[in-house]
Amino acid sequence: MDEIEREIRGTVRKLFEDNRIGLFIGYIKGSLPLRTTPGFINGLAGIETLVWNSFCRNNLTVYLPRFFAPDPRRKEAKLPSIGVLVKGCDSRSLVNLINENQIPRENLCIIGVNCAGLVDESKIQDSMGEARMNEIIEVDEEKDGIMIIDEEKHRMKFKKEDVLADVCLNCKYPTPVLYDILVGGKASQKHLSVRKDDRVESFEKKNIEERWKYFQEQVSKCIRCYACRQACPNCYCKLCFAEQTKPKWVGTGNDISDIMFYQIGRIFHQAGRCVDCGACVRACPVNIDLRIFTSKLVKDVKELFDYEAGLSLEEVPPLANFKPEDTQGFITEP
Amino acid sequence: MRFFKIEKSKMVGLAKRLSETHAVFIPARADQGYLRFCKLDFRSEKQNVESIETLSFWGYRNTIIPPKEVFFPQTEVLFTFSEQMPELSVAIQPLPTVILGIRPCDARAINFLDKVFINKDTQANIENGAGNFNDPYYAEKRGRSVIISLACNNPQSTCFCTSLGGSPDGEAGADIILFDLHENLIARPVSKKGEEFIGEFRDWFKEPGEKELNKKNELVAASRDRMRPIEGILNAEAKLDNLFADFLWNEIHMKCLGCGICTYLCPTCHCFDITDEVRNKRGRRLRCWDSCMFPSFTLHASGHNPRPTYRERMRQRIMHKFNYCPKNFREIFCVGCGRCVRNCPVNLDIREIICRILETKNAK
Repeated sequence: MDEIEREIRGTVRKLFEDNRIGLFIGYIKGSLPLRTTPGFINGLAGIETLVWNSFCRNNLTVYLPRFFAPDPRRKEAKLPSIGVLVKGCDSRSLVNLINENQIPRENLCIIGVNCAGLVDESKIQDSMGEARMNEIIEVDEEKDGIMIIDEEKHRMKFKKEDVLADVCLNCKYPTPVLYDILVGGKASQKHLSVRKDDRVESFEKKNIEERWKYFQEQVSKCIRCYACRQACPNCYCKLCFAEQTKPKWVGTGNDISDIMFYQIGRIFHQAGRCVDCGACVRACPVNIDLRIFTSKLVKDVKELFDYEAGLSLEEVPPLANFKPEDTQGFITEP
Repeated sequence: MRFFKIEKSKMVGLAKRLSETHAVFIPARADQGYLRFCKLDFRSEKQNVESIETLSFWGYRNTIIPPKEVFFPQTEVLFTFSEQMPELSVAIQPLPTVILGIRPCDARAINFLDKVFINKDTQANIENGAGNFNDPYYAEKRGRSVIISLACNNPQSTCFCTSLGGSPDGEAGADIILFDLHENLIARPVSKKGEEFIGEFRDWFKEPGEKELNKKNELVAASRDRMRPIEGILNAEAKLDNLFADFLWNEIHMKCLGCGICTYLCPTCHCFDITDEVRNKRGRRLRCWDSCMFPSFTLHASGHNPRPTYRERMRQRIMHKFNYCPKNFREIFCVGCGRCVRNCPVNLDIREIICRILETKNAK
């Protein structure tokens, strides 16, 4: 980890020294023990704050569209050159954003990092047994696992593969698919052999009443904070359908049908675009099981269109395209 | 004002008794699986309140959703209307309210909200700084409420109430404050309402011994010792007076995603939106929480948005809490509960922002 961190810092230093970028978006130390936080470095002075570890969960590509959104006040201004650190999943978000004309490829300097999976801090908390209500005060990432000290001075060690984020268990692209510079040597693919997340398959086998009940239970937790939408790199609409008033597509209250409509609407807007990066579920403050829906969507798109989002700058997303061989089943056999 | 004692098991009995005549709210997981203030219903079979018979929440840290939702619900029907009805029909809260187990920081926050929502002439015991408007929906519920707070034995590292004039045993906003002595609770009435409440249920309470009172003092002192106050927050208002145009806002906003987590989970945030939902010939007017962090919060009908980027919105949030509200209500609208710090998806830490502000040299 430390070597990758040094590699990242060295690479970013060179980019600034060569004047290739005006801003670099990476991770810096967070204010809480198990967190990192997005860092915006605009010169050599900030380089030493950049970090890389198993807590770098945020998808940083979500920040990029704001720098390139057309602004009538600065029509003549030159677009910035921005460097960004991406993991495998993030790089696919990037491909998607470039394909959808939200970011110009030529203004990016992409540092891809070979990712060995990220830790879900709530899994660590839940695995602390009797001490699981205790606050974690210190964290140390060691070669053979994550060591934590809690507020009662208990020391506990966890194997990384036991506390990996769910979204990492199914990772097919730990090496970024798009980059200018790749750091991190060969990604340890050890975690890919850990228990596979086959929840979608087992969920599909349930009957429709069970699935609807589960869906209702999950989304009834929703407080309409829109963190899922704001964290998602694909959600860049200037005015979200959920906030439109003319016409008012969906109510803003806690009526369960309004919440469901918002959730279904947002997730289905990801069809053919969602790369299953897990940013939405990471952001949700009330732990809604969003990935059961997004991963089902990803699976359906793969089956219906043989397409995975965010892999190639040459591909056209299936919902923006028509091929005669596209499935017609939804019309002929609904 | 004296101290009283009640066993925890007896407190459960009292809560049961209260729930027959009051709407009693306690911190519980209910169906949603996360902690929020839920209405106690001992008779309900469906209610999934964790260990309702033992009210086992005593050791909890704090809820995710703040208790403001008891008086200021996230969604509230202001009135319903239809073509047939001659009048608007307004929902009325049938039972008086008890909030049991609210933390001192949150109780203090309720006091702040009182200044926003309740006319100063209506509530004679509101200190200076209350506003001119009286919100009947809030005032009606709040007027018939009793707040029984629970002092903190175990503050978290993200708690910073003492930096803002609060305390793990703070009394502001509470009618009665409880102290957790493991098997027993010490109760101390801190308002006239609290005194009347203890008077009404006097048989349920005993006198505590000196040993118990000493234990309580020890626990309080230990809690206070754990807090690491941030020096100087009380000077933030004066500092901010000269910082509106400062460069620091250009940097502070950058990692903000623009969701509503910090505002919705904040016990003092109170912005809302009013919308009508009409279907065929009937409708209702709703008041729902809104957030100044949402990009379309200040979007005008003309299409103009005076807070067009994250920079203006972040500045607004900080200025509102640490400068405008101190001017309007004589209180910093932050009680140091730490919910925004713990739950922000990008670990944007308001404590770091305050420190940054305090360190900024004024550009003259």
